[in-house]
This record gives sequence, C-alpha cells and structure tokens, in this order.
Amino acid sequence: MYFAGVDIGSTMTKVMLIDKSDNLLSAIKGPTGPEHRQLANEVMRQALEQASLQIDDISYIVATGYGRLNVPFADRQITELSCHARGVSSLFPNARTAIDIGGQDTKCLKIDNGKLINFVMNDKCAAGTGRFLELTAAALGIELQDMGDISLKADKKIQISNLCTIFAQQEVVALLSHGEKLENILAGLHAALASRVAALARRLGIEPDLVLTGGVAKNTGMVKAMKESLDCELFVPEEPLLTGALGAAILAKETYMKAVAEGEALPTKSRRLEKATFFS
Amino acid sequence: MSWFIGIDIGSAYSKGVITKDFEPVASHVIISGANYRTSAEAIRTELIRQVNLSQDDITNTVATGAGADNVYFASQKASDIVCTARGINNAFPQARTVIDVASQSTKVIRLSGEGKVANFTVSEKCAGGSGRFIEVIANVLRINLSDFGPLSARSRTPITFSTGCAVFGESEAITRVSEGIPKEDIAAGVNKALASKISSLVKKIKLEEPCAICGGGALNIALVKTIEGELNTTLLVSPYPQIITALGAAITAATSATSE
Repeated sequence: MYFAGVDIGSTMTKVMLIDKSDNLLSAIKGPTGPEHRQLANEVMRQALEQASLQIDDISYIVATGYGRLNVPFADRQITELSCHARGVSSLFPNARTAIDIGGQDTKCLKIDNGKLINFVMNDKCAAGTGRFLELTAAALGIELQDMGDISLKADKKIQISNLCTIFAQQEVVALLSHGEKLENILAGLHAALASRVAALARRLGIEPDLVLTGGVAKNTGMVKAMKESLDCELFVPEEPLLTGALGAAILAKETYMKAVAEGEALPTKSRRLEKATFFS
Repeated sequence: MSWFIGIDIGSAYSKGVITKDFEPVASHVIISGANYRTSAEAIRTELIRQVNLSQDDITNTVATGAGADNVYFASQKASDIVCTARGINNAFPQARTVIDVASQSTKVIRLSGEGKVANFTVSEKCAGGSGRFIEVIANVLRINLSDFGPLSARSRTPITFSTGCAVFGESEAITRVSEGIPKEDIAAGVNKALASKISSLVKKIKLEEPCAICGGGALNIALVKTIEGELNTTLLVSPYPQIITALGAAITAATSATSE
C-alpha cells in the first residue's frame, strides 16, 4: 500500500510517496511555474518513476498548497496549514510551534498532538516573507542560495531603515555604493526579516519545541537571525520545503487506514495522469 | 528685482524652479539618476540658460527633498513639507489641504493662511501607498508612465487587488495579464487601490476644502479622478504638479533673502 502527498506552492511543486509504515519512497521538487494547473501530473510522474511504482499502485492521494484544487488525480484536498502541522510533528514529535517562511507568505502554527490548533499568517506584505530576501538578493546581484552563508561572515549588522521590500531594494544598493560590506548588509536584511517574523510568531505565542520550515529555512543566515530574534532553540528539518507534502502523504495514509478499519468505502478519483483542464 | 532658484531632489525625479522675486519664470525636471550632485548641477545650468542669466545673477538658492544635501551650491536646506505648502500657496492661495503623491511617499498637509503648515501626515513605509506602485505596475504592463492615466480612464471594470503590497501586486498583475484581463482594467485597479490608501491618509488629518493635489502622481488624471470620487471633492490640479515643492523652495529662497 502506497500513499502520495502533492503540495503545490506558489513557487515549487512537491510530491512525496510513502508506504504504510511511513517509509519514504520518493520526494520530488519542481518549479510550479505559471502553468501549475498542468504540471502536477509531470511531477507526480517523476516521483512514481523514482519509486518504480505505477499510479494505480497508490491507494490514496492528498493534495495541498495554494494550487491544491488543480490536481485532478488527488482524492482529497487538505489545507497546507493542516498538512504542515502533520508533517512537522511526524519529524519532530515534540514540536508545539512551527514557523513556515515561504516565498509568498509566512505562517506560524500552534500544534498539539500532530494537529493544528491555531495559526497566524502574513500574506499581505512581502516584507515579512521570503520574497523580501529574494528581491533584495536580486538587487544586490547575488544568488538567493548564497545569501545566508555570506551573511555569516558579517562583523556587524547594518540597520535597514526601510520596511517596504521595494524601498529596501533601493536602500541596499545605496548602502553597497557607499562602501558598506555586502555581508554586513545581508546580516541586516536577515535581522530585519527575522524581527518581523518573530513579531508575528509572538502574536500566536511561542511554545517549545519550535520548528522552522519553508524555503527560507534552508538559509543558514536566516536560521541564525531567527534564533537571535526569538532567543530560543530552533529545529530545522533536513528538507524544509517538503514538510507540507510529507504531511499530505501521512494524512492520505491516515484517511485511508481509518476508512479501512471502519469498513467504509472511500471514494477515489480517476488515476489517469492527465493535464488538468479548466473545468476539472 | 532678484532671481531665486529652488531645487527639489527626489528619489525618482529632480525638479528645479527659477523665480523672479516670487513669480516662477522657468522650471526643469530630470530623472534623479545615481548621482544627485550631477543632477542638481544640470538643473541649475538649464534653468539659468532658459532665462539667459549667469550663476552670479542668482541671489539665493534653496534645496529640498531626499537628496537636498547634494545641492552643494544652495545656501540652505528646507523641509519638503514646508516647501510643498509654500509652493501650493503660490499656485492656489485658497487651498487648505494638499496631497503630494511622490514616488517614495505620499504626504497630506493641512494649511493655514499664507501657506503655513497647520498639520501633516506622511506615508513613506510602503510602496503600495506611493506613486511607486504605479511605476511597478506600468513596468509589468509595459506602458509609459504618462500613458497610465489615460489608459486607466478607459476602464469600466477595474480589478481589485487582493493585497495593498506593491510586490504582491506586481505578481498579481502578471497573473491577470496572463489571464487576458485588459491592461486598462489592471491600471484602473492600481489607481483604485492607491486612491483608497491616499484617501484614508487624508481622512486621518481631516479634509479641509479646497484641496489641491501635486507631485508626479497628479499627472495621472485617472488617479486624480478616483481620489476625487473617494473624497467627494473637486481637487485643484496645477498644470505643473511635479514642480510645486521646488517652487516652494524658490519662494523660501526669496523670502529669506528679502527678510535679511
């Protein structure tokens, strides 16, 4: 018996396949792109290939994320908040708070026994999301994935006075042209984002253990800045982008097992890996 | 009779006005670029060329705006709030409120008589509340800033942006373009979003009529109309809205020279 979680985020589509003992069979990440309606099947195909499985071998499929309604072969849609909570607590059973910093929004989740009990999120202003780092890195002409490591070399943090991402883009270029060191500017940018995310998390209340996920969790400089802002220990999964897909796969398994145990028939969708159409 | 220059170095555009005593006689607007010092010099050179004078004929020069420090030949710096108030008082002596929509900020100033500042509020934290939002979306739509207003005026069904953030607004505009939404509806949506932010700023310090509008944003005729609708008033619009603050700086130059 095999289960799949498909997480269609604003920038990345993630698929995870697990068996009934939660063993990971494959994990695939691909860019969502503007045609995310049509790409879920492609990423799914790759995941099946990696696990040497056929689509008919999958007992139950859960889709999550911003594009979850565009996965025609998924049996059930579950919000990314619930899937994140489930994914995080399967990796860190003691997790009580999770902060997910993505490219388009930042979510703080309160978790109890693997279940989501409360959350706050920012999807209104780019300054509190990964987009802030993405755009300032672009303005400074450096690769997003190098940002964190470079910032760790800083000997001081330059205060970034603009809140708005667009104004900050201008500010960092001006700072660079005034001779400030790149690493010090980057340390300032990370500190600025961390303090905004920390303020959001405090609104929810932080209880240990605290887990950081989302693409931004791969940024070493950001993990350091978050630790400093929150003044507490922070756990980061090996694959922080995949917790949503993992949670979706586990929830797929749990939904299926529960139905089997209770002898209920569980409706499933057609397993044909076709492109989604506008009407599906 | 004496000559005075006011120079306003903004984050996007640099503006200059030359006055004969208190009367504006010539103006010049250029893109600020990376070197504000060069921009300030270029404006002075062009202004005195337009009126056939030399540098020595200028009695006094006052600088204002974010880059005022770079106008090394100015005798003093003045606050942009004060300069906008004085400039608008020169253009519209009857104005009691002025909205200045600039690239990096939006200011609303309440005026007492003689162009004195009674109260003001500034929105400078968020590009979604300033003219920058228009610049960002004009770039997505690949249209000139000067076409933004006329294009937007043609829309009957403006889109509604889901956030006020200019960064997310940019992504949203790209999505709408790919969905085939007409450019004018997207442009009108930007004006609607910006007008609503500007109107709440005006309401914060209470509108006293008549109200004038200046800054580069006032060149966007559809934005002006949308703000008029939101505030239920008719706005006084100068034919040269971008140079009002520079004009105020020139008047400040003239005032301080006269009082000495």
